[in-house]
Amino acid sequence: MEIIEKIKTNKSIDNQTEIQKICLDKLQSSPLPNPRSEQWRLSNKSKLSNFLEYSVNENNENNSKFEIPYPKNTQSTIRLIIGENCQIKLIEKNYSIQKLSEGELQKYIKEQMSFFNQNENWSDLLNLFLSCKNNILGLKINGSKIPPIEIFSHASSNSLNAKTLIIFLEKNCNVELLQVNLGEDNSSLSQSTFFCLEENSSLNHGVVSYGVNKSNLLNSLNVIQQKNSEYNLGSLHFKFNYARFEIRIKQSEGNAKTNIKGMQITKKDEQISTYTKIDFDGPNGFLDQINKSLADDKSHAIFEGSIIVPKIAQKTDASQLSRNLLLSNRAQIDTKPQLEIIADDVKCKHGATISQLNEEELFYMRTRGITLTEASKLQLSSYFQEIISFIPVSKDRWDLLDKILNEN
Amino acid sequence: MQSKMKESDPILEVKNLSASTDNLPILKGVSLTVYPGEIHAIMGRNGCGKSTLSKIIAGHPSYNITNGDIKFLGKNINSLEPEERSQSGIFLGFQYPIEIPGVSNLEFLRVSTNARRKFLNKEELDTFDFEELVKEKLEIVKMDQAFLSRSVNQGFSGGEKKRNEILQMALLEPKIAILDETDSGLDIDALRIVASGIKRISNAQTGIILITHYQRLLDEIKPNYVHVMSDGQIIKTGESDLALELEKKGYEWTDNFIKET
Repeated sequence: MEIIEKIKTNKSIDNQTEIQKICLDKLQSSPLPNPRSEQWRLSNKSKLSNFLEYSVNENNENNSKFEIPYPKNTQSTIRLIIGENCQIKLIEKNYSIQKLSEGELQKYIKEQMSFFNQNENWSDLLNLFLSCKNNILGLKINGSKIPPIEIFSHASSNSLNAKTLIIFLEKNCNVELLQVNLGEDNSSLSQSTFFCLEENSSLNHGVVSYGVNKSNLLNSLNVIQQKNSEYNLGSLHFKFNYARFEIRIKQSEGNAKTNIKGMQITKKDEQISTYTKIDFDGPNGFLDQINKSLADDKSHAIFEGSIIVPKIAQKTDASQLSRNLLLSNRAQIDTKPQLEIIADDVKCKHGATISQLNEEELFYMRTRGITLTEASKLQLSSYFQEIISFIPVSKDRWDLLDKILNEN
Repeated sequence: MQSKMKESDPILEVKNLSASTDNLPILKGVSLTVYPGEIHAIMGRNGCGKSTLSKIIAGHPSYNITNGDIKFLGKNINSLEPEERSQSGIFLGFQYPIEIPGVSNLEFLRVSTNARRKFLNKEELDTFDFEELVKEKLEIVKMDQAFLSRSVNQGFSGGEKKRNEILQMALLEPKIAILDETDSGLDIDALRIVASGIKRISNAQTGIILITHYQRLLDEIKPNYVHVMSDGQIIKTGESDLALELEKKGYEWTDNFIKET
């Protein structure tokens, strides 16, 4: 693994930034995550090695070929591609979207890194170590009536691509943002995203990640919510040889709302996992989370969620549900929703279910002339619908449901 | 009575049918023949095999046919898939219609109807044309159009679910309809609506099998034949007055037939 060798031997990358140097320094103490740690114990080691096998594509050499697959109609949407020159400066009557300055970026990342935990944030450390200036997009958004935003990250074949996105939502700002992560054949994408939602701001965030043959993804999402902010996340990960989606959300002063509806679909021998950690650092926080997994063939889907409610977080109302569908005898699902509660006046619940396609539902549909394949699709469509309908911006234009159903 | 000469070929012939699930025998040699225009009622205690018989005719994959044949329009259908049986004209009305959250009733009905129409070499209907057709059929079961936009059977009352079953029957125009306890859970008015719907849909070319515990459905739809089932067998067959006698004497009376057989 060329990258790990670089880390071990402290071989510097050309024009290393201060952030990269700090990350390299931190990674040197443990170049790989601890396989015995809770966050990594189920992670497939050979697949992680495969992720790290490719050479780093620092200069976006093959990116010139990248074309956003579809939809073509983008009139009402702002589209940005991380890694391409996003010289965005939109100052309109009601809103503004501007790039963060180099100084602002460095300051924010350094501040975040001071909270990093080696195992928990290994993906971010690797990302920031590998991400060159061109592949970091930082935005500051304020105002209202902001058009929907689509942001693309893309990994080209036979390379490892690191992309970083940092967004500040200023006070009273409402944004709809769809993040699309795409992997080509035999590629690895390291994507780290940092959001800061200031008071009274709200973000409807969609994350759609899909690869093709032997694509890998390490997708890390860090959100800080100030009071009276609302963060809604709808996510979908499918068609990756190996993918990890790590979500860390901190309601820094409480009095904030978080809604998460996520789904991962695994087939063949794929492994896709979702790890979430929600910290309530103040009172009156709200969380409603549902994570769905669907595992077929001999694939492996993993969900581990933790909700941390310290003493300061009184009157927290949190719910976390993991619903899983096992479509094959050889597929595997591991799920572990968990609560860590110290505050005594809270309403928290969690649960997990694992089931198969409902045979009586299938029989009912078949007695109405619907073939087994179509009946399964209808049943899966109803299973997916709850999540898909929560993904903002382009859910209709992206035809996500059709795309998934035709591939399942 | 089942052996009397008929002018046309039977729609359904069940011959000496035995079936099991998880190696547990459920049906033990059932024979039943239904000719066009006939209405048969099957009665019997809970667990005697009535619903199992209906599911096996419809092709439920959990049951194995261990002996005997099911012939539909002269062809053996033992190995046909449930959807193939439905497309060719067998309809099963469920005792407990299944809820399918997230699947719109309208789309479900359209896909089902088109599957049957395709089999009949009729043109498949687009959403617009189908809405016209379904509006007509809704009138038969006195259902409101609002039911179409809801998920299949989700949040429907017991009576609404049963009416939705009859609506499906009306759309699919089956050759034979097996209605499993369609009367259970219905109040008097709903029972009349459902019974009148069944009568309007059935005709001289179709056959109906009513599975029921009670005489009250048979007061509305008079059967040509009544069969009493016990322990996976038909132990007595008679005309409609058999149901009345059964209502008076109870199933204990039929225990004597078991001893006789």
